[in-house]
Formats: sequence, C-alpha cells, structure tokens
Amino acid sequence: MDEYQTAEETTFVVDEITTIIKETVESTIGNSSYQHNRINQWTSSIVESSLSQLTKLGKPFKYIVTCIIMQKNGAGLHTASSCFWDNTTDGSCTLRWENKTMYCIVSVLGLAI
Amino acid sequence: MCFLTDLFNMANQPLPLSKETLAQFNHSLATEPGASGPLRRRVGSISTRRSSKDQATHRPLHLRGVTGPSSDSSFLSPNVTNSHVSIGKRFSFGGWQQGGRVSFSGLYLHQPIQEIHMENTYRMGPEPGSHFNASRTQQILKATLDSYLDGVCYNPENSSQLCQMLADLVLSKLKDDNPPRYKLVCQVVVGQSSKQGIRIASRSLINSDTDSYTSADFQNHSVFAVAIVHGVYCE
Repeated sequence: MDEYQTAEETTFVVDEITTIIKETVESTIGNSSYQHNRINQWTSSIVESSLSQLTKLGKPFKYIVTCIIMQKNGAGLHTASSCFWDNTTDGSCTLRWENKTMYCIVSVLGLAI
Repeated sequence: MCFLTDLFNMANQPLPLSKETLAQFNHSLATEPGASGPLRRRVGSISTRRSSKDQATHRPLHLRGVTGPSSDSSFLSPNVTNSHVSIGKRFSFGGWQQGGRVSFSGLYLHQPIQEIHMENTYRMGPEPGSHFNASRTQQILKATLDSYLDGVCYNPENSSQLCQMLADLVLSKLKDDNPPRYKLVCQVVVGQSSKQGIRIASRSLINSDTDSYTSADFQNHSVFAVAIVHGVYCE
C-alpha cells in the first residue's frame, strides 16, 4: 500500500504539543490567582482551546485532553494513566505548570486513526 | 527468448520448482555451451546478481548442482530463497532483475526480515452490540476504586505507586470486558483530601458514534480518587 502521508505527519510529536499546551495555559491562567468561582471557566477554556489548537495541526489523530487545576494548600496530588493502544502510533504528553496559588496539570493523549 | 519466458513462468511457482529451474539452467549451461551464446550472457547476468561476492566459486557450485540437485549448499539456498522473495512481489521481467539486484547484491546469509502487512477488513465501525459499554465500565471502575481504596490513608511515599497500580489494575479489569478493536485510555488521579479546591476537566476529539468515556470517583476522610476511562474505536 502506498503511504499517503509522511512519517512526520502520522506520528505523535511530543515537543510540538507541549509548546501548544504551555501557550494555552499561560494565556488562560498565566497571571491569575486561584478563584473558586472562576475555576470552572478556566478548566473549560484551557481544554477547549488546547483541543482546537491540536485539531489545527491537521494530523490523523483522535485526542483526549485532561486538565487538573488544584489550589496550593499543602495537599498532595498524584496522577497516573495506563493505556491499551498501539505503542508505535499513539502517544501522550503531560505538562505541569504552577504559579504561587495553584497547580495545573494538562495531559494530552493522541490515538492514531 | 521463449526459454527465459518459461523460466519466468516457472519462477513464479513455489520454491521446489525454482530449484528445478536452477538445475535446468545449470544443465543447459553445462551441456550446450555453444548454442546458448546470448542465453549464456543472460544466464551469466543472472548469476552475477545471485552472487555478488565469489564469481569464481560460483561456477563449480552450479556444476555440483547438476550432479546432485539434492545437495544444495548453504551458499546456494539463500539465493534460491531470495529469488523466491523477489518473484513473489510480481515485478515485470525487467523489474524482476532489478529486484534481484536489490536482494542479492549484499548476499545476506540470512533471510531479510519481511514486514507483516495486515489484510484490510473493510470495516468502518464496530459490530452492532459490541460498542464500548459506558455503564458497565463505570460499574467496574466504581467497584475497583471502592474495593481498593476502602480505609486507605494518604501516604506521600507510596501514593504515586498506589496511583499507578490503580491505573494498571483498572486497565487489566477492563481489558477482559473490552469489545474488539477498541483502544482504552485510563487516567487516575489520587490526592490528599484536605481543604483545597480542585477541578478536573476533560475534553476529547473522538467519534461520538463509536467512542465514549466514563468516570468514577471515590472519597474518604484522607484520600480522594478519580478515574476516567475513554474507549476509542480503532479503524
């Protein structure tokens, strides 16, 4: 079968996606402090704009974007993921971001079509 | 010319016959040197492709082939099998020679690794009745979290291990129940239950006809856990 797409276009490139997500997070909550009434809006906004930026890449992938925002209170937080997929074509990347009042963890998983 | 066409036709047949072909070639080479002038050139050209290394030792091997066709040396057998590989690709005659050049020039003493190509199933979606079952998955998730985290206290040293173990455990339980051709992505968040606020959001670009997700959570006095599972159909 002929390859209709180059290898670059069909693999999950972690660096590119990390850059996109970082820009999205910084533009949404870059200068803000934790506010309980706005957190709903922030998480939705981060997730939605990340996803729209990812679709603009035009790669043949299905994406799952998860965002966790937690107030800095001294509590501990752990995240883990396990996936049943094709290791050669699918991938994930996680970005940890923080400021003085909150932690933000965004993870993107891409599954090849 | 027609002899070579016959060779090509015979070469398309399975392995034992191509050995016969080789024996036939060797026989013609040995018995009719004069008549096969242009033929010998062609045969000679094939033989160089089959063995790039030792041209000198090649001829005695051919003659040996005439007398004892069963005694295929290891030197010869990779050539035979290699030719079978290239013929299997169904090139045109000119292309076959080229293909021969590519396989034989390095003279591998082992089989080149062939890529496994999966057959096309022509299936666009999952079979009716074998979609990702979100409600059943949620029950499994909830049961797993409850049974595993009941009475657990938050411990900063082993919580990361606990989290990873939970993710693997959930995945192994779901794999048993998983409909075919579905990829699973499972994320688990475990944290200390203190007076902080936390928000977990998720959005995905998936095919809503075939793909789905589900989530479950658990909380006690010292620890909370959230598990999210996405089921994605692999086309």
